[in-house]
Amino acid sequence: MKRTILLLGVLIWTLPYCTKEKPIDPGWEYDPTPFNLEYPDFFPILEIPADNPTTVQGVLLGRMLYYDPILHKDSTEACASCHQQAFSFSKPGNIIPHINLGWSGAFLWNGKIQGTLEDIMLFESRDFFETDLSRLQNHPDYPKRFYEAFGDKEITYEHIAKAMAQFERTMISANSKYDQYLDPDQFVFLEDEEFLGYDIFFSEKGDCFHCHGGILFTDNRFHNNGLDANPEPGLSEITGDPFDVGRFKTPTLRNIELTGPYMHDSRYETLEEVIDFYSEGLKNSPTVDPLMKNVYKGGIQLTPQEKGYLLAFLKTLTDTTYLHNPALEDPFHE
Amino acid sequence: MKKNYAFHILILSSLVLLSACQKEATNGNVTIFINYNVGGQELVTNDFRYTCAAGYTFEVTRLQYYLSNFTLRKDDGTEYFLDEVFYQELGTTDPSIPIPDVPPGTYTSLSFVYGLDADTNVDGGLPNTLTNINMEWPLSGDQGYHYMKFEGKYKLPGTGEEKAFNLHTGATGNNQNFIEITLPIDNGLKIDGNTMQLQLNYDLNEWLQNPNTWDFEVWGPMIMANQDAQLALKANGATAFSIEPMNP
Repeated sequence: MKRTILLLGVLIWTLPYCTKEKPIDPGWEYDPTPFNLEYPDFFPILEIPADNPTTVQGVLLGRMLYYDPILHKDSTEACASCHQQAFSFSKPGNIIPHINLGWSGAFLWNGKIQGTLEDIMLFESRDFFETDLSRLQNHPDYPKRFYEAFGDKEITYEHIAKAMAQFERTMISANSKYDQYLDPDQFVFLEDEEFLGYDIFFSEKGDCFHCHGGILFTDNRFHNNGLDANPEPGLSEITGDPFDVGRFKTPTLRNIELTGPYMHDSRYETLEEVIDFYSEGLKNSPTVDPLMKNVYKGGIQLTPQEKGYLLAFLKTLTDTTYLHNPALEDPFHE
Repeated sequence: MKKNYAFHILILSSLVLLSACQKEATNGNVTIFINYNVGGQELVTNDFRYTCAAGYTFEVTRLQYYLSNFTLRKDDGTEYFLDEVFYQELGTTDPSIPIPDVPPGTYTSLSFVYGLDADTNVDGGLPNTLTNINMEWPLSGDQGYHYMKFEGKYKLPGTGEEKAFNLHTGATGNNQNFIEITLPIDNGLKIDGNTMQLQLNYDLNEWLQNPNTWDFEVWGPMIMANQDAQLALKANGATAFSIEPMNP
């Protein structure tokens, strides 16, 4: 009889270990709260992978990881070391700004990573920073946060990627002077020279819009814009296709005033130099994009006055509220 | 009287039996496959293998466009209309157009719009997808979307210098330049619970000829605000399509 009771006791005691879910530490709860991503109606629909819905817990975790050097194998730098909010999550140097990347389907200048934000963040954590998972797993706070975001006690690169992607999706800039101008309720108007620049930008005169158009100010595609007579490999490095030589990802022009130097190799310090390049400095090559239709005469041939108008318009794409958005700030310094 | 009942029952039951044997015609599906060519030659991108009516050798780099308002029509005038817009991009999108749930009957013509009709071709007329936003037609005063972006390069005779062409069509100065195309279906398309296939042949070379010989150098690469150029292309594009049934 005693033995039977003992046996039963052992059985009952071990029962939870036989079920699929391991018992969780007291106080841990997996009940994620949906996060409402806000952006204007005139922005494109933000596609979110079904297996990574945006949650309050996931976004906060991603934000912490973004600012925490723990992701780096040597803990020497965090994402935010190079992607600084004061520079629209960029930094002077060859640092791609993090801005509206939720709408992107290919990442890095040469398109090395194609897919979703989860794919690029997996690359950044596992391959670029070479995150040591055991340090997160043994951390006093992170295991609980990962559990609350993903319902899993084990921290994986996939979980890191998902959390980072969730935070990146919240990095939305949609409050430039140009956005305010588009919103009829705000009664914000463009100055004369800004509007003349708008006309150059959004007509075939400047023909900026075929690549940098739409509300995101990028077509999220790859083009050879005529930088060099012998272009660098660009996208062809990834695809192996000789027609992709010299093709690089179109960067957004949102906050372009704050994210110099310019081009994939940072060859231009100022926007004035960039406009000069498109006006007179284009170089023909076999893969130059047909959209660069004025390459045969060196560029779009703007007068100094027109260059000034175009620059004035480009500056209407600056969103300073993005630089001070508290939801994107370092969560460890609140 | 009793006999009469029996007679009626006999008539009724035979009617029921008859109708059960007679199979009622049901809806079917039509799938249209777009098959590109350039003047009868196979379409190969980024290769100067074609010569246009104006005498330039040229290559095709990129083609993006909308097809909409597909309509199947019977000889008695009844129509089946599909209220849907299809974005097509060479080498990227599935070059097939599914027309589901087509009522039974024999259809003898197919119509569609190349581009977007006036109701759709307004700002915000299409869902705000990345694709549609990249097709916007943002010129001051105009509205809507590009119907087509057809881009490539041509060579100048003699020097061989390469220059770009951008055949971008859309509504210019409130002129709706979409093209309505109607094509007869030889021998008809018989729908009765089946899936029929049509091949839509699309000859890109027709943009450059018939009726208007298109000279890249004369028109230049910037035609979005040039209504004369838009009209010339509208007439040329109308002859770019033909269909052939793929079923026996």
